[in-house]
Amino acid sequence: MQFDRRGFLKIAGLTALGLVAKPGWEVFSKIDLPEPSPTAESLAKIRWAMVVDLKKCWSAKEGCRDCIDACHRIHNVPNLGTVKEEIKWVWTEPYEKVFPEHEFELTGEEYQHQPVLLLCNQCDDPPCVKYCPTRATWRREDGIIMMDFHRCIGCRYCMAGCPYGSRSFNWRDPRSFIKNINLEYPTRIRGVVEKCNFCVERLAQNKIPACVEACKEKALVFGDLKDPKSEIREALKFKTIYQRQPELGTKPKVYYIL
Amino acid sequence: MLDQRQKIIGEDKILFEHIWKTGKGFYITVSILGALVLLGLYAYVTQYRNGLTVTGLSRQIFWGVYITNFVFFIGISHAGTFISAVLRVLKAEWRRPISRASELTTVFILLFGVGSVLIDLGRPDRMLYAIRYANFRSPLLWDVCSITMYLTVSSISLYLALIPDIALLRDLGGKREWFYRILSLGWTGTESQHRRLERAINFMSILVIPVMITVHTVVSFVFAMTIQPLWHSAIFGPYFVVGAIFSGVASVIVVMAVLRKAYHLENYIKPVHFNNIGIFLMAMTLLWFYFTFAEYITIVYGNEPVHMAIFWSKLTGKFAPLFWLHFILCFVIPLPILAVRRFRTIRRIVVASISIILGMWLERFVIIVPTLTKQRMAVEGAFYIPTWVEWSILVGCISLFILLYTLFTKVFPIVPIWEIREGREKAVRMVSERIESYLPETDVAPQ
Repeated sequence: MQFDRRGFLKIAGLTALGLVAKPGWEVFSKIDLPEPSPTAESLAKIRWAMVVDLKKCWSAKEGCRDCIDACHRIHNVPNLGTVKEEIKWVWTEPYEKVFPEHEFELTGEEYQHQPVLLLCNQCDDPPCVKYCPTRATWRREDGIIMMDFHRCIGCRYCMAGCPYGSRSFNWRDPRSFIKNINLEYPTRIRGVVEKCNFCVERLAQNKIPACVEACKEKALVFGDLKDPKSEIREALKFKTIYQRQPELGTKPKVYYIL
Repeated sequence: MLDQRQKIIGEDKILFEHIWKTGKGFYITVSILGALVLLGLYAYVTQYRNGLTVTGLSRQIFWGVYITNFVFFIGISHAGTFISAVLRVLKAEWRRPISRASELTTVFILLFGVGSVLIDLGRPDRMLYAIRYANFRSPLLWDVCSITMYLTVSSISLYLALIPDIALLRDLGGKREWFYRILSLGWTGTESQHRRLERAINFMSILVIPVMITVHTVVSFVFAMTIQPLWHSAIFGPYFVVGAIFSGVASVIVVMAVLRKAYHLENYIKPVHFNNIGIFLMAMTLLWFYFTFAEYITIVYGNEPVHMAIFWSKLTGKFAPLFWLHFILCFVIPLPILAVRRFRTIRRIVVASISIILGMWLERFVIIVPTLTKQRMAVEGAFYIPTWVEWSILVGCISLFILLYTLFTKVFPIVPIWEIREGREKAVRMVSERIESYLPETDVAPQ
């Protein structure tokens, strides 16, 4: 080949072809590119919520802790063994304590002492978010109240603000109190507050929360309130829906049906 | 040279002596205080290494002694401002010998108020995040702003009122002359300098009064802005301010009495000063009772179950001993002592003040902790018993405060000498003129 303009153009063409070969092959083949992170607009189209079907929960055997154990195992929630320092993301309390406004003197005793599942209500108007001095807790557009364990200064004001007592504090280093560390989720350090996060890390992988998955009675329903065809909207139809202390105006997103 | 010194000292030798003379009592006091400060430090290091688990706090009751200390110390800081700023604005002449002692209480105790919050943090290494990532919707940030402002304005006021006395010490010469020379900012005591200083101090005094009210109102908002039963009350703002002035003035009385005894200031801090401040303290006792009564009667009359559960825990339940003890200390003991003229001796006023100081610490505790027991959703057996760490840190804070105060009196005069001299030379005439201006004009008609 003579090294004149023509020759140059031929070599340039071949080089360009060589450079484009690999990316072009990738574009037209079936390799999955990573999805971009959800934006605020895409998140705002969803509103996550949970329904607890109490009758189904009570049909389980006594002392059933499947949901609690699943959550605490996956999220490395330590077991400190004392009431003083316990950390719990999900737990149960007797019905008469959760809904004290329901009249008990005249109603039957059958369900007064039955366990009701409690967790962070992921409120639409959360008091805890207002009080945090460092914005270590905030409300994501899809309704989940997030926690940044690296920013929390441990002042516990969010705990003072939450009317439901949903938050726990690490009074000491929790690592030695975790039975089997799940390497796919971070542990926390001492001095920070933690709570249920609606399994936001599982939602990012299109999985449902661990507690919902673990319940053998299918008593927990989780879904998107903004999707009119979702399972949760179906569960909430034509039923009396209870919430914890709705008069406080926090607009909780955990519903109870009986 | 000696004549010059004598001229500067004048008849107020005793006001300088505590700077020059260091007796056995001083060394013993400093040693004891130092040991207590070390105890507090050891307690904090224990907490820093092991986490807040060393306290008696729990998932149920997560605020306790440290937050009580925070509210208590910030409350005491209101005394200084009241006595030096409010009394100055009201032109009450009896404030002269005690204005610096009370202003100093304010400045130093504020440091421990802030310190108490920092001690309570789970991650104190991240304390600056509150500034870097500040969320101004949070009452804690309002606290940061108002307390910073208060500390700044009070420190400047303290320093301004110190300048003429620093100049006196500079003129006396001696080892520390270079130190006083720098701080005196070239003060020579001319008429125009006095006028400028007067204007500056008056400006600061007027500025600090709304700041003082804001500070403890904002501290109360930490609780009042939540929706917890017996915290979510509109009365907390003024209630806490009244409580602050109440406990603060009681603290200043104790400080006055100690300084008077230790430094032989009987000629300057006289029974009349204690009598006047004692009457004011009595007024505050009644005002505090009024606010407490108003708060509780509205709760009782409303009879809401959630509120009443906590109310009964205070009156007859778990917290009854502390509640009634605080009421006796804050009201039942002080009021008869302060109300009856015959009982208002210095010793008895100090007893009443100590009773009030202890009672007000308990009052803050009884406001904060019972609400956290959340009677309805309470975990069985949740109770709060503070550990040695929390008590040691409280003792350490108080000891360090007294220690810093004592060291200050070794460097600067605690009674403002220039204000006493101004009182002697000018105030009598100024007050006579002022009183004459109130009276009706006399007709001086020729006979």
